[in-house]
Amino acid sequence: MTDTKETGNESTTSGDIRIGVYVCHCGLNIAGSVDCKDVADFAATIPHVVLSKDYRYACSDQGQELIKNDIRENKLNRVVVASCSPRLHEPTFRRACEEAGLNKYLFEMANIREHCSWVHLYDKEAATEKAKDLVKMAVAKAALLEPQTESEVPVTRKALVIGGGVAGIQAALDLGDTGYQVYLVEKEPSIGGRMAQIDKTFPTMDCSICILAPKMSDAGRHPNIELSTNSEVVDVKGYIGNFKVKVLKKPRYVTKDCTACGDCAKVCPVTVPNEFDVGLATRHAIYTPFAQAVPATYVVDRNLCLNKENIIFCDKCIKACERKTIDFDMKPETLELDVGTIIVATGADVYDPAALVDYGYTRFPNVITSLEFERLINAGGPSSGHLIRPSDMQVPESVAFIQCVGSRSERGMLYCSNVCCMNTIKDSLLIKEHWPETKIYVFYVDIRAYGKGFEDLYKRARKEGVLFVRGLPAEVVEERKTRNLWLIGENTLQKEVYKTNVGMVILSVGIEPRRDSDVIQRLLTLSRTPDGFFMEAHPKLRPVDAPTRGVFLAGCAESPKDIKDSVTQASAAAARASILMAQGKVTAEAITSKLIEENCTGCGLCAKVCPYNAISIDKERKKAEFIEAACAGCGTCSAECPFNAIEMRHFTDEQILGQIDAAAEQDANKKIVAFCCNWCAYAGADFAGVSRMQYPPNVRIIRTMCSGRMAPKFVEHAFAKGAAAVLVAGCHLGDCHYINANYQTQKRMERLWKKMEKLGLNKARLQLAWINASEGERLASKVKEMQSIVESVTSEEIEKSKKMVEKAG
Amino acid sequence: MPVRTWRKPLDAEKIKVPKGEVHIIKNRCKGCGFCIEFCPKEVLEESEELNERGVHPPKVKDESRCALCSFCTAVCPDFAIFTVEKNCEGGC
Repeated sequence: MTDTKETGNESTTSGDIRIGVYVCHCGLNIAGSVDCKDVADFAATIPHVVLSKDYRYACSDQGQELIKNDIRENKLNRVVVASCSPRLHEPTFRRACEEAGLNKYLFEMANIREHCSWVHLYDKEAATEKAKDLVKMAVAKAALLEPQTESEVPVTRKALVIGGGVAGIQAALDLGDTGYQVYLVEKEPSIGGRMAQIDKTFPTMDCSICILAPKMSDAGRHPNIELSTNSEVVDVKGYIGNFKVKVLKKPRYVTKDCTACGDCAKVCPVTVPNEFDVGLATRHAIYTPFAQAVPATYVVDRNLCLNKENIIFCDKCIKACERKTIDFDMKPETLELDVGTIIVATGADVYDPAALVDYGYTRFPNVITSLEFERLINAGGPSSGHLIRPSDMQVPESVAFIQCVGSRSERGMLYCSNVCCMNTIKDSLLIKEHWPETKIYVFYVDIRAYGKGFEDLYKRARKEGVLFVRGLPAEVVEERKTRNLWLIGENTLQKEVYKTNVGMVILSVGIEPRRDSDVIQRLLTLSRTPDGFFMEAHPKLRPVDAPTRGVFLAGCAESPKDIKDSVTQASAAAARASILMAQGKVTAEAITSKLIEENCTGCGLCAKVCPYNAISIDKERKKAEFIEAACAGCGTCSAECPFNAIEMRHFTDEQILGQIDAAAEQDANKKIVAFCCNWCAYAGADFAGVSRMQYPPNVRIIRTMCSGRMAPKFVEHAFAKGAAAVLVAGCHLGDCHYINANYQTQKRMERLWKKMEKLGLNKARLQLAWINASEGERLASKVKEMQSIVESVTSEEIEKSKKMVEKAG
Repeated sequence: MPVRTWRKPLDAEKIKVPKGEVHIIKNRCKGCGFCIEFCPKEVLEESEELNERGVHPPKVKDESRCALCSFCTAVCPDFAIFTVEKNCEGGC
């Protein structure tokens, strides 16, 4: 099935660049709508191409062998494979090239399947023409490719874990047990997090603190774990393997000799509601958050202590302490840590239901949240485990749970908080266990009992007589005398209105992102999803890696999850971090920026737009300085530089301009030149292909790593070459793979639109679209929508723009 | 752990905090205002009346807040203010 076309180029080319082109049939996936042989014949006529073949399955072992042999025998020094998406098989062919002794960066792919045959199934002629163009563009780029070497950086064998909840503890223990030094940083005076507040865990009904406390004390005394409580990360510099972290450790004003006897707290004259008990109990200004706290050392809350600044006049605690452990002279410390990897386990906040006024939280004392319930039902809690109504301290005869409070609603958060259904089922069983006569209603939307053992627990609750009513109450009304509550709503299963009277209402509140997540986001250059949780590098295949290399996510910081999932993810994050630290070194993909020193004026524009702080300006020398290992390769700096002083390796200006030239060589006035970012828009176009969404064949997609790579000159060049329209597509704002680089894209496009208006050009010819990896439909409809623009552009207009853009450029 | 704490804690009645009784010797006061300024519980405020020295001595705004820290006694340059523990046996 191999058909080799010897070309006449061999003798005519300079002899330096020898490109081999392979057009893959992919069975009938490509060959069904593209005449592969015709494309291969055409490729043979392109300059620098010394050999062109079509082959049924280029990715097969035989296909790879064929390429390897050709590299050796025909002294190929560039290889182009026209087949599927580089997101699929680029690594395969790169490896084949390397095995034949060719640098892997001398390989280029033309995507004639996802971007051509699959989206133009019924127009073989047009698809074949497009495939020829795509091959021509790939060859144009290939001719300009340079070999690259991937740099290697050492990885410090120490880790930082931010957040000391169950996820942080688990991650720290796993890393510590593996043998790495771990710094565990917790903002609160004790580790333990939310799990310490909870009474029992579902579905096993284990006592939460009983299973957590041993882990807490393990973490507290582990030889490899250095615990810093009352501490916050204030600065992070550096890059994968070599982070420099500053941690502000606030003083406890109590030394380690504290025996936690509590004599000091007894005499402290200040009392406030205790945060740990959600305000249901008091604490003093000198306190320990809860009995099992690690470290057990007491802490002075200087915001509440009567002694302000350095004037110590209230000495009641000092006098009461037999061991003389209270020291008001303690000063805040800044720890400077060198770590190789960072695990973010900063947890989540709880939704505040006061915003939903219909439920009456904070208006009616007997409306409580599920977290308050946990403290009330806990034997160590403020009511010693008695579920009592705050209004009269009596055990209610009937209770109602309201589900999805703050979740799955326009009025709160749109997402499902994952844990509330099972938490309520567990809570209802706890009530039944202590007070079997209690009547329990659960008002729900859907019960999501999806996990191991969850359905059994749900069934058990129903068997025990818990009443599940579908339909959330519209309103909760208080009976003034009894302080009982009426719930009024519609039972959507029975299609009737209910009016239910209960002694107590428990709002099953959702999980929301920590209100201070933006601090960690900024320090570690993370991204957040529209929900506000930290985004993973890939939702399926890299679910615990953050987009910033060397940073991993665990627990509710990433999304709402239960304890088991938090622990699982923490162990996964620890394992991912261990891989880096075990290897002790890491290679960086060579797609990074390179300074052309003689052009650089040290203006600092590049440093301003770099999302990774990888560029600094040497003010004396007036030159930019690059930290290659911190560079993620978006190319925003290169696009921003007005002096052509920054080259993006593997995506150079010349290469991209070459692709534009090739795309616009023929019938440019009928074509759309599209620039798509690798992670979202290009992947979206791949998705359109996989889903066989048909769209017009006149679009030519050029891949860049980020839409931030889009220098205005690329757009201008496309217009100067006569392109009818240009599409720039990237990740949605806020979802950029390179943190925020696409905001630069937007700014540049806005500038271009203004410029086009000034020049009297129709600015609709330049389109900007935000398309994520799952929005193939959006890409397809965008291309369709642009047809009217392409059709409306007259040849005079194109000539005009050619001249004007050239003149202005 | 940012928490909305709006309820009266269940143990609020049980927690015993020493209650102070503030005594001001008005005519000794020269009106420096230190006691008002530095009281951590903001128990005191300036009074309208004039004392023998022609200044406004402090007066008690809310004695129930006094935690008996005695800072007012410590900062007063004129020994014009002192606190004693309130006898709360019969309830305060």
